[in-house]
Amino acid sequence: MSAKSQNLTQLAESLVNYGRKQGATEIQVRIGESRDFEARVFNGSVEQLTESGSRGLNLRVFVDGRKANASSSDLSEETLHRLMDNAIARARMGGMDAFAGLPDAGRIEASEAALQMHDPAILAMAPEKKIAFARELERIGLADKRVKKSAGSGFSTGEDTLVLVNSKGFSGSYRKTTVNCGVSFGAGEGDNLQEEGWYESSTRLDRLPSPEAIAKIAVDRTVRMIGARKVETQNVPMVTDPQMSARLMGFLAQCIGGASVSRRQTFLAEKLGQRIGNDLVTLVDDPLMPGGIASRPFDAEGVPSRRTAFVEKGVLKSFILDTYYGRRLKMASTGHAGGLTNFHWLPGTSTPEAIIKSIDSGLLLTGVMGQGTVPTTGDISLGASGLWIEKGAIAYPVAEITISGNLADLLMNVEMVGNDLHPRRGMSAPTLKFKQISVGGKAKA
Amino acid sequence: MTRGIDRRDFLKATGTGLGVLGASSLFHDQLFAGGLPAPGAGLFESRFGVTQEMMAKVLSTALAKGGDYADLYFEYKIANSVSMEDDIIKESNESVVLGVGIRVLAGKQTGFAFTSDLSLAKMQQAALTAAAIAASERKHSLPPLKAIKLPGQYYVMAAPLAQAPLPDKIALVKEAYAAAQGHDTRIKKVQVSLADELQYITIVNSEGLLVSDARPQVRLVATATAEEKGQRGTGNGNAGGRVGMAFYQQAGTTPKEIGTQAAQQAILLLSAVDAVPGEQTIVLGKNQSGVMIHEAVGHPIEADGAWHKTSIMWDRLGQMVANPLVTIYEDPTIPHYRGSLNVDDEGTLTSKTMLVEKGRLVSFLHDRLSARIMGVTPNGFGRRESFNVPPIPRMANTVLAPGESDPEEIIRSVKKGFFAESYFGGQVESTGKFVFAVNLGFLIEDGKLTRPVKNATLIGTNIQIMKEVDMIGKDLAFFLGTCGKDGQSAAVTAGTPTMRIRKMTVGGRA
Repeated sequence: MSAKSQNLTQLAESLVNYGRKQGATEIQVRIGESRDFEARVFNGSVEQLTESGSRGLNLRVFVDGRKANASSSDLSEETLHRLMDNAIARARMGGMDAFAGLPDAGRIEASEAALQMHDPAILAMAPEKKIAFARELERIGLADKRVKKSAGSGFSTGEDTLVLVNSKGFSGSYRKTTVNCGVSFGAGEGDNLQEEGWYESSTRLDRLPSPEAIAKIAVDRTVRMIGARKVETQNVPMVTDPQMSARLMGFLAQCIGGASVSRRQTFLAEKLGQRIGNDLVTLVDDPLMPGGIASRPFDAEGVPSRRTAFVEKGVLKSFILDTYYGRRLKMASTGHAGGLTNFHWLPGTSTPEAIIKSIDSGLLLTGVMGQGTVPTTGDISLGASGLWIEKGAIAYPVAEITISGNLADLLMNVEMVGNDLHPRRGMSAPTLKFKQISVGGKAKA
Repeated sequence: MTRGIDRRDFLKATGTGLGVLGASSLFHDQLFAGGLPAPGAGLFESRFGVTQEMMAKVLSTALAKGGDYADLYFEYKIANSVSMEDDIIKESNESVVLGVGIRVLAGKQTGFAFTSDLSLAKMQQAALTAAAIAASERKHSLPPLKAIKLPGQYYVMAAPLAQAPLPDKIALVKEAYAAAQGHDTRIKKVQVSLADELQYITIVNSEGLLVSDARPQVRLVATATAEEKGQRGTGNGNAGGRVGMAFYQQAGTTPKEIGTQAAQQAILLLSAVDAVPGEQTIVLGKNQSGVMIHEAVGHPIEADGAWHKTSIMWDRLGQMVANPLVTIYEDPTIPHYRGSLNVDDEGTLTSKTMLVEKGRLVSFLHDRLSARIMGVTPNGFGRRESFNVPPIPRMANTVLAPGESDPEEIIRSVKKGFFAESYFGGQVESTGKFVFAVNLGFLIEDGKLTRPVKNATLIGTNIQIMKEVDMIGKDLAFFLGTCGKDGQSAAVTAGTPTMRIRKMTVGGRA
């Protein structure tokens, strides 16, 4: 354990002990400390440099099944003791909730080292090099004549130290480094403008792609949208690129979250153990993936992390649960307090090219806008952009259209799964093909 | 994290946006014996030992490397929330935010650092970090700090929720909960939360400005889910602003009305059908359609997009950007609204600002940086979520001025179309493409509202759609929003009359 973790652990332990003396039956204290650097570049010059160190503390208190929370960026003893006193008093005024409480302390198997979460090279990187990387991203893209302007580039690094202590004997900590960078460009004419970009994140510096590779993706994504037009309102097959597949998967995750299920605010509330998709749908969350961007040895309640298959060949195997919603639904926590980690749609065998080739007329979805995904019904209605497919090939870009459908229908009608899963982001999926989506656009000519 | 990736904006029209800020308070009398302190820099001195002399020292350090402007933003915020679900008071939260953000400008460049530790040593260290953006020999002699008094008070400071006893807040929550639950036997699930905050800020800058503000912000949100024969619908109701406890006794914003609104919406959604997809005539109801001008006009004229030339509006000042019927202004001085501000987060006093006058774009929304780059006077729209992020141009209370048409007449004028009643939110790209997501709408058939419609997304490009706005009602209503931009959230409102858009694309299922 680093010296920093040790100090924070002592602070957390002393607050837990204070809370116990004041009459709390269970207490959890989490402290996070971050060091961050961010450089933003615009048109070749540094536009903004941010450097910071910050701390935050979060506490949860239970008094005989009554719950209260507090948080603070002021870590003075006076403030923390006041927050603890107030929380205990507030908890006593709350309702008795039989399911409220801390998990029993489990055994943490995974180490920070095994998960490859901490890379000293990220911290050792000189600020000038970080700025140079961001400049390079922008310079490479602007060298392409089809790109009209930069919308900015950036490079940031961070180190987080997290400590969690509770009154049931759990004490754990880990450190994590991250590096993020990205760039966006503008293209197009008159009122028909496009702006697109690309970013990459990693826990290890040596796994960050080169500026050339990142800028190329950003440029390609921008220029392929030049001259985008509307299409007519119609029903067609839809291919989702990996980002859009992941977005869809995010909606599914919302629909199988313990809170939504317990509140019956999802159409999947009664579907555990049942088929919710066809054989091509297998979704796994793996918090123990070495080097995974969202890997962690334990969750936000100290429950040890483990791999979970939520959907296996179309069958819903588990909801996404923390301790509270696990108890409510009479199940064990899946270790997902604080959310999903490295959540993947397992790849298939088709190449993205073969998927596009299989379509006579349809939409390759590359962008969506809006909030029109409703867990209660599974309904989807979003603003959309992408590429139109004709006779097995990309024909032209489309924008200012809508897509509408229902998640239940889509999952039962997955027709092809790409082999292109690149688990670089927390939520990752391959290219997918769906039988049909409703596209809203121009009136039929 | 880069500008481009982050800049897509996002507005939550409903839901528990404020809940994120944390939130309940009970024993603030321990914190502020004898009541809440008056706004003023004195709070940071009396409670945290930060004297004006220290502030001046830190400012001077911030400019030590030759920066040409520096400011310090001190923030102390207490936020509380209490929520009810499953017929019990489920949880409560209290959060404390304390810190100072230090910003240095050198030409178009910004150096930024922050610390939660208000000791002189830590503040000086952060100031040096921020100072490093500059590299010039320029020396400053700083003018002495001079406190300015705020000319207007646009918040209700009487009976603040931050000081109300928890049982009083619980009573409000229970009232809304009971109203929603008791509305109809088909209501199966209700959640209600009450969030309040009180933010104290003090801003000092290298021009000698010293200004302080104390800002309350309150919101009561009810969510109801109805269920019948396998059909489900979720509705929302909410009300709040920079107000005190008395607000929830006023007609129109009582907890009972908020809970009932959520339940009514949920019930209507049970029988809602899918929208008819494709281009059609749209009527926007007054209650929540502010989301449309927020996305279509507000964001594109925030001046960061103008000086970066990334916004589609960057070169349209003085040009027609909407139908001549359309007049849009910002008014942070409307008393007690969610987006109201006595002073912005850079110390600029706020005022009513005309943006689009009879279709012509007459002003952008500026922060100090965009104003200095574009050579204009800052107009009071530099806002920041907290001390740990720099200010950016933001909206406050955005208003599309009422017109001449009778709202009923607008609906009657449409033979076949779509009426938008309430929203999940909206989003805009700097290219001007925007959407708004309708939670509940109605079909318009032969000039009448007929069947309820669920989940429809409307999409267009702002310049085209604002020219298609061809009837504007003489009514006006505001919705409460939490707007997201560059990773920062801001409390806003937007007000609109009933209006007609001649043609816009609606998403739906064929």
